Amino acid sequence: MVEIIFLAPFITGVLAFFLPRAVGRQLLVGTGAIHLFLSLLLWKNRSLPVFDHFFAVTPEGLLSLLVISLLFFLISIYTMGYLKESDLKSENIFTGSMLLFLSTMTMVTLSDHIMVMWIAIEATTLASAPLIYTHRSSASLEATWKYVIICSVGIAMALLGTVLITLSMDIGNVESALSFSALTQVAKALDPMWLKAGFVFILVGYGTKMGLAPMHTWLPDAHSEAPSPASALLSGVLLNCAYLGIFKTNKIMYAAGLGDFSGTILIVFGLMSILAAATFILKQNEYKRMLAYSSIENMGIIAFGTGIGGLAAYGAVICMIHHSLIKSSLFLSSGNILLGYGDRMIKNTGEMARLMPKTFKAFFAGFAGISGFPPFGIFIGELFIIVGAFKTGHYVVVTIFILSLCVIFAGLANQVMKISFNDLKGGRNDEQASDKQILIKEKASLVWPQYILLLTSLVLCFFIPDTLYQTIIDAVTAIGGGIK
Amino acid sequence: MIHPVDTILSLVLLSVLFSYGSSRVPGLIKLLAFQGIVVSVVPFFIGHDMSAGGIIFTFVTLLIRGIIIPASIYLAIKKVAIDREVEPVIGYQASLLFGLGLIVAATYISSQLNIPNISEFLLIIPAAIALLVTGMFLLIARRNAIAMVIGYIMMENGIYLVGTTFSVQARHIVEFGILLDVLAGVMIMAIIFQNIKKTFDDVDTALLRTLKE
Repeated sequence: MVEIIFLAPFITGVLAFFLPRAVGRQLLVGTGAIHLFLSLLLWKNRSLPVFDHFFAVTPEGLLSLLVISLLFFLISIYTMGYLKESDLKSENIFTGSMLLFLSTMTMVTLSDHIMVMWIAIEATTLASAPLIYTHRSSASLEATWKYVIICSVGIAMALLGTVLITLSMDIGNVESALSFSALTQVAKALDPMWLKAGFVFILVGYGTKMGLAPMHTWLPDAHSEAPSPASALLSGVLLNCAYLGIFKTNKIMYAAGLGDFSGTILIVFGLMSILAAATFILKQNEYKRMLAYSSIENMGIIAFGTGIGGLAAYGAVICMIHHSLIKSSLFLSSGNILLGYGDRMIKNTGEMARLMPKTFKAFFAGFAGISGFPPFGIFIGELFIIVGAFKTGHYVVVTIFILSLCVIFAGLANQVMKISFNDLKGGRNDEQASDKQILIKEKASLVWPQYILLLTSLVLCFFIPDTLYQTIIDAVTAIGGGIK
Repeated sequence: MIHPVDTILSLVLLSVLFSYGSSRVPGLIKLLAFQGIVVSVVPFFIGHDMSAGGIIFTFVTLLIRGIIIPASIYLAIKKVAIDREVEPVIGYQASLLFGLGLIVAATYISSQLNIPNISEFLLIIPAAIALLVTGMFLLIARRNAIAMVIGYIMMENGIYLVGTTFSVQARHIVEFGILLDVLAGVMIMAIIFQNIKKTFDDVDTALLRTLKE
């Protein structure tokens, strides 16, 4: 009974809307723990779903599921502390939507039927919209509106793409179930023209949700306006879920012998996203928007690696896992900064190294990790992508890739230094400077989740358990990747 | 011989032209309801599934696309809007011209494509393309938040027409899922634009321009 993994948070999520706020917080952590337990159980047993027409346990789904579970559990612990410090008006809507969001994202990882996948991804949009509107300001309203409209239109494009794929079945006279696994087996018989058209529409549709440029415009707004735990979920796992839709369609394309076609498109979109992030990160004056652009960059890197294939595809999956771990820790730290300074502008922060030493450590380590420094995992992922690109002879694109990474690193470093070491406004010698107190205490629940996330990335860099390694290899072999 | 499906689809094409020239939101909602009803009955006429399940499904689709969704939007504007002008970014004449060009182009494209299941029906592909592009157009070229939602649903109607007629496989459960998703999406959008109205005292999306680079 695999379906219990997404049914459990669905039920508790609906309950949370009606329960008092204190119970809601405990429900959040409790469901997180149960979810983590269930997905670990699934890793061990690989049991079969009851509705096997619609759901399946695939290697790439398992990877995303484990990431979601681990992240949600840690984020829910952080949320306990965060909710105590910040005063939200309707907290039960927040906790309920978080749980429904978890449920829909889990459904994405397990769905195999192409339409169920679509429904689940659309459901993630609907479940997360209330999270972005939590603060009830006019800016958050605008961000929510943008998010719902842009993502819904994108998802409609993906629906059209899905329909075109069923059309390619009809024209190719193929009798098969409408699931990704069945279609991958009969891919050779599908009509290539309509399959290509379907892939383009699906890439544009799910790419909108994943944050690929030029369809990324909702992402910085939504990520900066949502409360930090929600931003961490949006950036850490929602983007991966959308990527999963593209990944699975790409699998069909590869099996149909159209891997070059889909790869080229993925490379182009990937590079565009990295370049867009590079232009906007340089002059960013809000730290949460800066992190959001960094997410766009990382999604670009993942699409780029997937497009190149081979060793780079392996690198892309590594990047995906570590990006989730590191980026969500960064967003949680940014929540502390926001609580501490009460301001989202970089120019109103400073001296974090002295005022909030624990958050500073987590934030700075996260920055090093996201920029691709060893010993964090993104270093290995990016290295594989670059080596893979050189091996397959993509010299021009990989040069642009490396140059943009350097630009983004410079932009990020500049801003992070300002937040960490700049004098607070008013000057150091001024009496007012010492008046500027940090608004919160750094309690354990507000810093340990970040440390654990970073530590996981660190450990996975040096030691990958055999089952995990084998699952990654299984996932990327289907799109022509592997470690050779 | 002209098939009855083509006759009602020609009315859809007309309604598409109307929506380019229409300046009022209530008018657009009526057009939306009409289009919703037509796209949900077309598969029935084509004769894909005349089974009991198929008939029930057609009625449920008709109920949701033709009545519930337009009615919920109508109730939402009753509650909030004083200004029901769609506030065009692109003028009505230019829009109409674009619409005419679109229909010609869609007819040309449809004559180029060869899709065996529906080759006897002349207007399905043009109508689907016209609905899709018109929906997009309303999203881009109208500043009124409600007109944008209407554009989104029009797009969905076009996709639904493609989905139910191009492919022979019956996928009722899944299509039902899509319907529920769209319905929930519309509800969320209705809540959001009530909030927009409350916050800004207007539904002009030009007010929503503070977040940009």
